[in-house]
Amino acid sequence: MTESFPFPRRTPVRVTFGLGMLLLGIFGFVPAVGVLIASLTDLRGLPGLPINFVGLQNYIDFFSPAKWADSANALRNTIIFAVVSTALQIVVALAVAVLLNRRLRGRNFYRAVVFMPTILGVTVTGLVWSLIFNVSGGPAASLLGLFGGHSAFFGDPKLALALVILVQVWMVLGVSVIIFLSGLQAVPEELNEAAEIDGASGWQRFRSITIPLLAPSITANVLLGIVNALQSYQLIYVLSGPNNRSTQVLSLLVYVQGFGGASGTTLSQSQGYAAAVSMVQFFLVAIVSIIALLILRRREARL
Amino acid sequence: MATKRLRGATLGRRLIAGAVAAATIGALAACSSGGGSTDGEPSGKLQLLVSSSDATDAGFRAINEAFEKQYPKVDVVFSTVSNDNYPATKSSRLTAGNLDLFVVKGLMETPSYAKDAATDDARLAKAGGLVDLTGESFLKQYTPTLLDTQAIDGKQYAVPTGVSYYTGVFYNKKIFADNGLTIPTTWSEFTAVVDALKAKGVTPFGMGGKDSWPAGLPMLASVTANYPTLADKQQLAKDLWTNKAKLTDPTEVKVLKQTEYVLQNSQEGAAGADYTSIPSGFAAGDFAMTVDGTWDQPTIDAAVAKKFDYGYFPFPGSDNAADNALLNGKTELQLAVPTSAKNKTAALAWLKFFSDKKNYELFLQKSGFSSAQPGISTSAFLQSIGDYTKSYEPAWDQVWFANNKAGQDAVFPFNYPALSPLGSATPEQAAEAAQKAWSAAG
Repeated sequence: MTESFPFPRRTPVRVTFGLGMLLLGIFGFVPAVGVLIASLTDLRGLPGLPINFVGLQNYIDFFSPAKWADSANALRNTIIFAVVSTALQIVVALAVAVLLNRRLRGRNFYRAVVFMPTILGVTVTGLVWSLIFNVSGGPAASLLGLFGGHSAFFGDPKLALALVILVQVWMVLGVSVIIFLSGLQAVPEELNEAAEIDGASGWQRFRSITIPLLAPSITANVLLGIVNALQSYQLIYVLSGPNNRSTQVLSLLVYVQGFGGASGTTLSQSQGYAAAVSMVQFFLVAIVSIIALLILRRREARL
Repeated sequence: MATKRLRGATLGRRLIAGAVAAATIGALAACSSGGGSTDGEPSGKLQLLVSSSDATDAGFRAINEAFEKQYPKVDVVFSTVSNDNYPATKSSRLTAGNLDLFVVKGLMETPSYAKDAATDDARLAKAGGLVDLTGESFLKQYTPTLLDTQAIDGKQYAVPTGVSYYTGVFYNKKIFADNGLTIPTTWSEFTAVVDALKAKGVTPFGMGGKDSWPAGLPMLASVTANYPTLADKQQLAKDLWTNKAKLTDPTEVKVLKQTEYVLQNSQEGAAGADYTSIPSGFAAGDFAMTVDGTWDQPTIDAAVAKKFDYGYFPFPGSDNAADNALLNGKTELQLAVPTSAKNKTAALAWLKFFSDKKNYELFLQKSGFSSAQPGISTSAFLQSIGDYTKSYEPAWDQVWFANNKAGQDAVFPFNYPALSPLGSATPEQAAEAAQKAWSAAG
């Protein structure tokens, strides 16, 4: 088996990996260092304006009493958005994957339907759901109207975040289902059959065979889900706009500060401050991801 | 599964890999487009970027078409971007150096008490990023007082394309007549009209709250009535910046109360409604009034399609009718030429062409703007509001400079986004939050 290395020669490996590393370095690492440097300046959006080194002032501003209401609101929304959407995504995706792993007529069609929203992309998804939740004559408003109810949907500060989470789960469900399906197909049928002969119920088999063997898929899905949700802002931007406080997450705050999403104001673009917010976000993503990875790996080992 | 260990790479191989990678990246890099003429006859591509609205887009397209007929060697590349995305697009295209003519916003001198709050475009002008147009002959055609308001260090950097008023209320004359209502001139008359409409089952206001800023229009209208003169507004701005006035003072809270009044008497689900859906709702008679800018009049007019008559009156926020007599407005879409423009000749020729009386009238006819030039004939609608616009007064957002250090609650600084149903606060709570964010910024 010593010849099982997929490449017969080393040169292609070096070239392809080297290219990958170079692209990652230029388009990933260099901009990341650039953002760190920018966060220490008063960089603005327009070329030709003077740039001054301001030290940690942008970070101090983020945690300052004047900005804290905005920062705390964005942090809270980010955490709620990430945790709830990831949890919901895992539970629903697992249920759908188990269902689609059974022998049922038209299985491939259902799989395609479940995966379809992933292909649509953020803007199309956002527009579709904006139309569904259109307050005047949209399907959701009409349905609610049948029961004598009405709602501003994305305009309702108590409902907006929940609706955005719902759409986010709908949009990313396909990928999670595919990962779970691949995991489920790797579960040996004999184990289930043996357990069935031993008299294990469906739930017992699911709990004691399927879940432990799916542990790596769960780890992958949780991590991908959390990282994706912590960074996501595009969907929120399309669904509820850049300045809706009830759905403003950290990455949207970065966008608004850095690229001047607040129309009708004299506020200048403050890309230095936006860079500082994105560094805070980076640490949040890193810490949450590392903790989640450690917990899930430990759990995988135990299972 | 076993894997073979890779030997240490030789320097030569690494260099080859690096060269291949560099060549790939080089191939991926985009080429920049060519410029145009440098002197004499305008030619080549003219990159024009504006923030979009249906009416002004139609105006610019009409001008572009006429311009290309006169200057067949010029190809006008017209880009129109939504207001929310405009700053980002402007920034990236200026950085890439492929703009010849673009809309600048907030080009005005910053008052001394707010010197750190200068707008991006004012900073750009001061830093030499915009072509100085002071000596250009076409600027002489514009109203001098309007030019004065946009001067930076006494120099002119932009062409004002028009004036809009946005502290008024569009109303459905048929609904008013059917219910025996007349134009209210005081706050108590206004609330009586709203009560009468509600009693007849008519929704008083239409509002596109999902986009947030349209809900700021009643706030600006209320400030107009409660601080009627420019001096009043300037004094308020100065007093707030110097902490002599508080956002929790009675008149400031009154502004929020009047804003909330409009929001709470708007159609069901107003907080989730798009701004663009309001003209069709108004045309369908879903509501009797909408607080909106005159820039939307061409769109409203097209939606109404002569089914009924409509009019526009100043928001009567004061109980003294004299305070509600004038509409407040702003200089619209100011067009500037960046110093990085590749085709300055064509850009200046376009501005000259635009400023020509015949062409400018064509633009005004399509855009619905009031004229920024004296002696220009205006539409029947603009003539109908002539009494309210006989003296130009800038609106509150043209006087107020937001503090970049303060939180979002103090941006406007009247905190209308926090008001129910957009947010969940009462006017007092919204004012309290705004004052907290403002005073914490120091």
